[in-house]
Amino acid sequence: MSWYLIAAIFVVGIWGVIAIPNLIKKVIALSVANSAIIVFFVYYGSLSGRTAPILSPDAPAGVPPVDPLPQALMLTAIVVGVCITALALALIYRLYKRYGTLDARTIERAVWELDE
Amino acid sequence: MNSVALLVVLPFVGSLMGLAGKLARAPRFFSIAAVLPLVPMAGLLAMSLPAVRAGSVISYAMGGWPEPIGIVLHLDGLAWLSSVLIVVIAVAVCVASFCRTGYGSSFFFFLMILISGMQMVVLTGDIFTLFVSFEIVALAAYVLIAYDQTDAGLLASLKYLILSTVGILFFLFGVFLIYRDFGTLSLATIRTLASERGGPADGLTVTRSIHFAVAALCVGIGVRTAFIPFHTWLPEAHAYAPHPVSAILSGVVIKVSFLAMIRIVWTLSAGYLNELLLWIGAITSILAVIWALAQSDTKRLLAYHSISQMGYVLAAIGAATATSLTAGFSHAVNHALFKSLLFLVAGTAIRMTGERDLFRAPAIGRHSPILAAAFLVGALSISGIPPFNGFASKQLVGTALGGSPAYLLLRITAVGTMASFIKVSRIVVPVFRLSPRRVATPASIDPLVTGAVAPAGTLILFPAIFLALLCLLSGLFAPSLAAFYSDLLAPAALRQGSPVAIAVAQPGGLASLYKSAKLIETAIVIVAGWLLYRLVLTPPGKRIAGSIKRIAPELRTVLLYFVVGLGLFALFAYV
Repeated sequence: MSWYLIAAIFVVGIWGVIAIPNLIKKVIALSVANSAIIVFFVYYGSLSGRTAPILSPDAPAGVPPVDPLPQALMLTAIVVGVCITALALALIYRLYKRYGTLDARTIERAVWELDE
Repeated sequence: MNSVALLVVLPFVGSLMGLAGKLARAPRFFSIAAVLPLVPMAGLLAMSLPAVRAGSVISYAMGGWPEPIGIVLHLDGLAWLSSVLIVVIAVAVCVASFCRTGYGSSFFFFLMILISGMQMVVLTGDIFTLFVSFEIVALAAYVLIAYDQTDAGLLASLKYLILSTVGILFFLFGVFLIYRDFGTLSLATIRTLASERGGPADGLTVTRSIHFAVAALCVGIGVRTAFIPFHTWLPEAHAYAPHPVSAILSGVVIKVSFLAMIRIVWTLSAGYLNELLLWIGAITSILAVIWALAQSDTKRLLAYHSISQMGYVLAAIGAATATSLTAGFSHAVNHALFKSLLFLVAGTAIRMTGERDLFRAPAIGRHSPILAAAFLVGALSISGIPPFNGFASKQLVGTALGGSPAYLLLRITAVGTMASFIKVSRIVVPVFRLSPRRVATPASIDPLVTGAVAPAGTLILFPAIFLALLCLLSGLFAPSLAAFYSDLLAPAALRQGSPVAIAVAQPGGLASLYKSAKLIETAIVIVAGWLLYRLVLTPPGKRIAGSIKRIAPELRTVLLYFVVGLGLFALFAYV
């Protein structure tokens, strides 16, 4: 069930990037889709054990620790995602200052007509 | 820290120099300091050649953690050749960037980050590090495309950002599936697991989720490599970037991602994709050349040709014959050389005359004949005229494809390429402007006569001559060069379980490059290209070109292509 839910979040994100013309909302949708992938990894990792993967003498014996690798990978993926979002918003801000709109269709029409 | 780690670390140190220049207010000094690490990189690569040529792999485990856990860099034949290509183009582009004073040291910061990221892409041994290095390359590329902050540059960068981020999400999903099924991300370990599970050929292709994973990985990389249907960001991004950036983007950035894809396809034994790659390559090359022919913007025309020429590379690899890897790789290298040259010279011409439209731009030939000659070398190379390198590698691609029907499409592409380079040569050579429907520009407003044209600077001549010489030399010594490539590529391919047996190209087989039959074929291409060029300039031709030019898909349509492409790749596995 959870798998389908995560897949649905991913699909919603991709749909948002495709269908919503507002550039800010496109970036939000990208972040949503990105989060869905992150949840995929983290949820899969969480199924592999029942306690934190810390090597210490007072760790509960007999309880398998979770696989730490997916979490470590996703930390990196989150950082990458933040960079992408920040850069995208900076670009959109510049475009907004010049065209006064966030509508992707309007801006696309205005910009590509420059070279006609 | 051995030479492999230094290949990644040195450009990164250079980028820090660029950053220091931003703080220290001495941009010129620090910009030069930023690009200097390219010199020791070239030295390191030269020193590691004997070991790599002997077939050994130089590895470096970051932080001392070995293969399945840590990040390990491998320098094998394929990585060595790609690394050399990156350094050669980077040197030319960095020298060219100093011609314009407008690029501060922050420009070199991003340029060196881009180079460092590309080195990571070619050296890395696991697919998650591949994802991270793709994103490093991409982030640097987005900033560089928008560096001049023109409207078109900003929007092109944003469009590239959105498309390739969606692509990389699919890639990451593929990484997830691989990790779920194999419990590891290192390509070497996946390879071992695959052979343990029963035969290198079919051990992996049995599970459906791996089919889907391969499809997702290919879509993710396909966006970076820009083959149809994932190509739509490229014309704008490469056309409206600053000129040196266009050169490096078209020259190497689209190629390193493709080389990463070859590794993944080998490792996962996804040989069944070959036929799909062959046809995608052929269709990519012909469609892109039609669009290129319709363009009137110089840099957009060149950008479409990058897509078209990558189609050749893709088709050669997809043909999966004994010479296909050597052929594909030679064409990738040669394309990097002549396309960087063309972008650098065309960019300089645009900077001199201030006119991007090739019908309105005055020819710079009389003003700086050396640049014009260099441009013509590039144009002759890409059109496949002997003795330049494009001829050699296109013939190799033809050999690799053998009698495949896809080769017919590539032959038509060659005609289109010829025609569009006759068309674009009018920015350097005045002779092509004698077309009847043109009104001559009165001398009083011709910027070349009135002196309104900016000087080219002498610094641009060095990269132009350097690349033009390389185009000529790699054409003249093509047979021995191809033997050298296959020497280096064969062990790398076998180690990663390439399903294709790679024969070392016999010198005898390649010496037949200049046979009279092939020269006659080239002559036919030239004549047909000239006819096509005249045809495009007739009124109906111009009307068709205009309507083709207007078919520019919107962002949302493009994203739908993605999903279709993913389905296509996944479906192909089941059939």
